[in-house]
Amino acid sequence: MSAYVPVLIMLVLAVATAGGMIYATTVIGPKKQFPDKMEPFECGESPIVSPKLRFNVKFYLIGLFFVIFDIEAVFVYPWAVLFKDLGLFGFIEMMVFIVILAIGLLYVWRRGALEWE
Amino acid sequence: MTLYGFLFYIVAAIIIGSTAMAVTRRNLVHVVIYLVLSFFGTAMLFYLLGAPMLAVLEVIIYAGAIMVLFLFVIMMIRVDSLEEVIPPFRQRLPAMLLGGLYLGCALLMARGTPGAGASLPLLTASPKELALYVFGEHWFTIELVSLLLLAALMGVLNLGRMKADEAGKEKSA
Amino acid sequence: MLTWIAGFIVLVVKLVAILFFLLMAAAYLVWVERKFLARLQLRYGPNRAGKFGLLQPLADVVKMLTKEDVVPDGADRVIFRLAPAVVAGTAFLMFAVVPLGRDLTLFGRSVPLVVTDLNVGLLFAFAMSSLGVYGIALGGWASNSKYALLGSIRGAAQMISYELSLGLSIVPIVMLAGSFSMVDIVNAQKGLPFIFVQPLAFVIFVISAMAETKRIPFDLPEAENELNAGYHTEYSGMRFGLFFLGEYVTMMVFGGLVAVLFLGGWRGPWLPPFVWLVIKILLVAVFMIWVRGTLPRVRWDQLMTIGWKALLPLALLNVIVTGALGLIMSP
Repeated sequence: MSAYVPVLIMLVLAVATAGGMIYATTVIGPKKQFPDKMEPFECGESPIVSPKLRFNVKFYLIGLFFVIFDIEAVFVYPWAVLFKDLGLFGFIEMMVFIVILAIGLLYVWRRGALEWE
Repeated sequence: MTLYGFLFYIVAAIIIGSTAMAVTRRNLVHVVIYLVLSFFGTAMLFYLLGAPMLAVLEVIIYAGAIMVLFLFVIMMIRVDSLEEVIPPFRQRLPAMLLGGLYLGCALLMARGTPGAGASLPLLTASPKELALYVFGEHWFTIELVSLLLLAALMGVLNLGRMKADEAGKEKSA
Repeated sequence: MLTWIAGFIVLVVKLVAILFFLLMAAAYLVWVERKFLARLQLRYGPNRAGKFGLLQPLADVVKMLTKEDVVPDGADRVIFRLAPAVVAGTAFLMFAVVPLGRDLTLFGRSVPLVVTDLNVGLLFAFAMSSLGVYGIALGGWASNSKYALLGSIRGAAQMISYELSLGLSIVPIVMLAGSFSMVDIVNAQKGLPFIFVQPLAFVIFVISAMAETKRIPFDLPEAENELNAGYHTEYSGMRFGLFFLGEYVTMMVFGGLVAVLFLGGWRGPWLPPFVWLVIKILLVAVFMIWVRGTLPRVRWDQLMTIGWKALLPLALLNVIVTGALGLIMSP
């Protein structure tokens, strides 16, 4: 428990620092608003279409691959911390795990999901 | 009430509150933010119950990975808000019934379990103990998980490619 | 009760000192970067505010504080206001697990020179780093601007891609040290810093760290020639300042992580431990600046190729090889 108290205080201090800076800038800074200034920046042109554009489906695929390999990493961490005690059995166990997911990576790679033209 | 009990109820209130906010928001990006907060609270709960490793993994996987994916989806399919889309009553009714059933079961479990009111002994599982348990006792499950992940990877790829072919060549980003 | 209050005060003073150090270091890292880049390009760099432009960071802060804080029309006001704080806040929290030196004895009590020594310290740093993605993604999304949105989606995709190789590259370190605690990892390098044992992991980690901090050659989320400023296009005043500060604090933090994981942390002969740590962090930071002055920006497809086809398989291979060697060499 006590190990996280400093983290909590650090969080409070960091938020206070960031908040203080932002508060200071809103107090000190000038406030001159006119319509053209409040438009989103588009190199001086007035924006005509909504900026919510559509994205390539590949960003979504990358996100999903990330989730899957992140879960893999999460299984590797506890094995790594106990690597010395688990010995040969643990090593083989983990190698099977990693190789199966390496096959997954290879499959994704060969099917061209990692290519961006 | 002990300090732990006090903290437990605070964290539980944060989780329930943020989840309730997530369910009732119309703006999907706000939903994601409240869900991240809810997962963060769950991580704190794990820590309070003596599982620091699980707490950190909860943040890494749920808050750091899965919610980023949700954010991607929301940004990609352009449904920022569901102003017009209020689900009809015939869709809401089963959801409410199942939700009520779930709540009832949970309450029954909490009431019916012997020793449910007893305070937990303060135990903590260090990362090493957790690893020993997982890799010693459940080695076969680990291999099954890898196969599951592999299947997920292949399924995702094929679904994603199908969608990409339907949409034709879209060049963006 | 009295000792408890005394301990609390010592703790808060220590944390304030560390935060102050981090802020000042980040501010002067900006100065170092501008000066060093200028010399690389045969310019003088900032030299008007104070001697050698040493007061430049102060002048920058004053300037940013006195600028107007503009929230563009159509922006999601709450998220727009909060996003920069997420970037800076997660960067500060990551530094919490970096050990700064040996335990200090002050007024008869031992004060550990680390904010906190968690037994999951390394994973805590990664968890905070993975939350930092939200600052970029939400900041760009909330701006209601095309450049910002493009920058933020690029930034999020880039950060998650390199998080994988970043996370897997340190697995061999954890295997060697047998712990996630940063203090234990520093202690495990008593004889030999891990850079000599794990050079491949070091290279993967440093490249991934550069991508995570979104610096040249990996600065596609804010590529100024095509996206103006990417995800922080619409930000002004100190809110922009917080994004900027967050980037430099992240540089310091990753410098600290490289120092702790590969360069032996605060260990070193003759000089005091804290000085060694600062020297090592500066070495990493100056290396990053030098890279910025040398390399052009990579293309998006190259970025993804480096991350997914080079660093990720190499990191996995490194885990396997380290495991096999460790088994063969252990009796």
